Amino acid sequence: MKCFLRSLTLLVGLFFYASSHATDALPTLTTPDDVGPVVEQPIEFPHFRHAGDAKDGGMQINCMYCHTYARRSMVAGIPPIQKCIGCHQSIESVRDKPRIQKLFEYWDAKKPIPWKKVHDLPDFVRFNHERHIQRFYFQQDRPYQEVCGYCHGNVKAMTVAQRQKPITMGWCASCHQKDHPVSANSSETGHGPNDCFTCHK
Amino acid sequence: MTENDFSRRDFLKVLGWGGTAVALSGCGNTSIQDGQETVTSYVTLPSYVTPSISNYFNSTCAQCDAGCNIMGRVREGRVLKAEGNPNSPINRGRMCGLGLSGVQAHYNPDRVREPLLRTGDKGETITWDKALGLINEKLNGTKGTEIAFVTGGMSGHVQALLGNYMDELGSKNHFSYEAISPAVLRAANKKAYGESMPRYRIDKARVVVSFGADFLGAWVSPVHFSQQYAQFRKGSRPEGRGVLVQIEPKMTLTGANADRWIAVRPGTEGVLALGIINALGKAGLSIPADIAAVSHEYTTERTSKETDVSAEQIEKLAALLKERTPSLVLAGGAAEGYAHGSQNAAAIALLNRVLGNVGKTLEASASVPFPQIAPTVGSRSSLIALNDGLAAGKYKVVFSYGVNPVFSAPASMKFKDNFAKADFKVAFAQYMDETALAADLILPLDSAMEDWATVVPEYMAAPEGAGSNAYAQMSFRQPMMEKVFPDTRGVGDILLALLKQRTADKYKEFEDFYSYLRSAVLKNKVALGGKAGDDDEVFWNETLSKGIVPLKGIAGSVSAKASAAGLKLPVPTDADPSYPLRLIPAVSASMRDGRNANEPWLQESPDPLTTIVWDSWVEINPKTAAKLGIVEGDIVEVTSKSGSIKTQAYLFPGIHPDAVSVPVGYGHEAMGRYARGVGANVFGMLDSVFDKETGELALNETSVKISKTGQRVIIVKEEGPVGGSQAGKPKIAVQVSADKVDLSKEV
Repeated sequence: MKCFLRSLTLLVGLFFYASSHATDALPTLTTPDDVGPVVEQPIEFPHFRHAGDAKDGGMQINCMYCHTYARRSMVAGIPPIQKCIGCHQSIESVRDKPRIQKLFEYWDAKKPIPWKKVHDLPDFVRFNHERHIQRFYFQQDRPYQEVCGYCHGNVKAMTVAQRQKPITMGWCASCHQKDHPVSANSSETGHGPNDCFTCHK
Repeated sequence: MTENDFSRRDFLKVLGWGGTAVALSGCGNTSIQDGQETVTSYVTLPSYVTPSISNYFNSTCAQCDAGCNIMGRVREGRVLKAEGNPNSPINRGRMCGLGLSGVQAHYNPDRVREPLLRTGDKGETITWDKALGLINEKLNGTKGTEIAFVTGGMSGHVQALLGNYMDELGSKNHFSYEAISPAVLRAANKKAYGESMPRYRIDKARVVVSFGADFLGAWVSPVHFSQQYAQFRKGSRPEGRGVLVQIEPKMTLTGANADRWIAVRPGTEGVLALGIINALGKAGLSIPADIAAVSHEYTTERTSKETDVSAEQIEKLAALLKERTPSLVLAGGAAEGYAHGSQNAAAIALLNRVLGNVGKTLEASASVPFPQIAPTVGSRSSLIALNDGLAAGKYKVVFSYGVNPVFSAPASMKFKDNFAKADFKVAFAQYMDETALAADLILPLDSAMEDWATVVPEYMAAPEGAGSNAYAQMSFRQPMMEKVFPDTRGVGDILLALLKQRTADKYKEFEDFYSYLRSAVLKNKVALGGKAGDDDEVFWNETLSKGIVPLKGIAGSVSAKASAAGLKLPVPTDADPSYPLRLIPAVSASMRDGRNANEPWLQESPDPLTTIVWDSWVEINPKTAAKLGIVEGDIVEVTSKSGSIKTQAYLFPGIHPDAVSVPVGYGHEAMGRYARGVGANVFGMLDSVFDKETGELALNETSVKISKTGQRVIIVKEEGPVGGSQAGKPKIAVQVSADKVDLSKEV
């Protein structure tokens, strides 16, 4: 009995200690607080210029033109510098802009650009871009900006990307529990997987 | 803890709950770390690369001499895992644990990273230019006869380059050394069948009798034989499920899989073979006169007395062999490691002739049509020749590559001291092993996953079908990724640089070993399966992507010419009372001769029979142990005439009461953090007894005595207590304690 009481005291103490932290950090869904910190990048890449709407001076380039692996692989992929140069070598009008000059410096030195990760999931979590893009973009035929935007927010209005959503397990699950139509023309619905090992390594 | 009765169990309970509470509180944004890590993109991306999706490159395993064809899984420029190449006739898409650990040889943190020069007791880092210059300087003025090369088994274009270099130096002293080598088997096979490595067809046999050939574990080409064995065991086979009988004094992995395991008195394997021939004759099989003249002396009673195998077992075995043909009889290391090892192997080979297996389950092999790349196989006798030369001061400059004789030579050879007599010793080394430590100049090598090479296996497996009798193959080894350490070099590149020092003109067109290899392959395009009009680039890329080059080889032939003439087996004598036990150095599937002891996966994968990890042990029969008063975990001293080791005792019913066994490969004094100081080195304590015909070191000829030191440890092993209950559950099977098991009576 003595031993039980002692364990209980320790347990209750630990619980209060832990939960005092828990309440502080308890996430609610998508509030301004969920926006991630501004991440400083080696080149301040203007997403709004490339992906933005024409009326805002954007080029309306499909996200997957540069992040080409999103539909074929786990990761969306940061485009190789080769890709940037592919277009920019023939866009003389912006060639002398400081950011483009910096880009060519990296290219000439054949050095990769040390981008900082903006959406950095913990190492025990697996997120598969391909599955989501195939489902929502190809099968359900939704607009790409909407599909990418579910998790990445309105990137077409940003310069360098900044996290817009909490990207926590609760937030992922809130979507996985919703019923979605399985394809564009179907009345049948289904929801995302809820097995632990689908996402957790 | 004990005084306030708050036990460990309660503590863990609380900790468990507390841990959950902490984990729950951690579910906020704390785990997302934006802007902390770098995500480096490619500058340019080859078209075949998609980030997060693996590419596979065909290559060849370098972990043992079987030469299995592998595929390296490479993701984002890093090799992650080796898989078997399904098109390989050797391993047919399979791998063994030793092969899988190859990535740990590649990423090993203890690799040598820069050329090192010894000055006195200290080593200093030097540049490659200086290192190669130094070799040139030392060789100038040294006669060719004073230069020696000691290597492991070699083949392919690296061997061809080495041959060219030795020609330029005028040296003929190439010592090819393997610590654990089937050299006695090669000689006996050559004599008995006309070929040193015929193709064994376990898959075609209805019964296999193996005299200590651990073909599922560490014998010749174990992954290949495991595939054959799987076929052999299929009941759906036209021949029906095969029966395996293993005869050996110490149980191996193959012995553990056998239908009948027979513990023979160490060294009497040949006697047993002749006894079986005699019993076969009695059972009505016609025995050729020359064999009968020898075998008739080995009556069942005499054989039984000499070999410790019951008369009933011998007769059963003869009946089995007579009834089920074709059969296959194998002679392995356990039968050959004696002063009369060649005689043992010859006696065993007679069985194949008597049973008519030659040509049926023993097939002719084929060799590659290019002698420069054909395998040079290693033996122990060559080390003895090198050692004698070193002792006589014949060699001034010695190069070593891919071998570690300082570790694996018996102490009685005094190899380390003799090695030190050479003025200048160059070690081509991937790790600081014992031999590299004793060298003057150490040249850091690329790993097998960074280097170019071609490999021709000694045991030439062939695919089924037409033309298989002339099938030979050459395999490619190609880099799977950039170098882990930028300043290492491929052995081919080093040899080419050394050759350029001697004869710059001949090799000036080759910038590196890659260009040499490419041009050598393209020059022989037609012989390597291409057409004269094929585009070079296309042919090269296709060949590399396959990794295997089938060649129209030179078909050999086997014949049943094994003769009993001159066969003389010694009558077993009583053991020397001061050294009453026979020491059997065991070759385990993962540790082999110890060259891979620095790969932690191999150290931590339990030995298949004892389940011991990360240490040596001595296997003792429970009966012998009871006599000596030894229990499991006792630290005992195993002493021979030539040395002694201390290690933990493991009571094991799968060993003959007259023998004890210690695994080889442990007990390194160098070779990095994972190998150094783990276990004890049994090579050192072996007596210098040699096979009378081949001059090979007789591994099993050492007699020992065992004494307790008084210390006792708990053996770190996977298995639970023998005879104990399974974690408090009711017993799941009738369990017999280890000292009551007599495996020779099983089946």
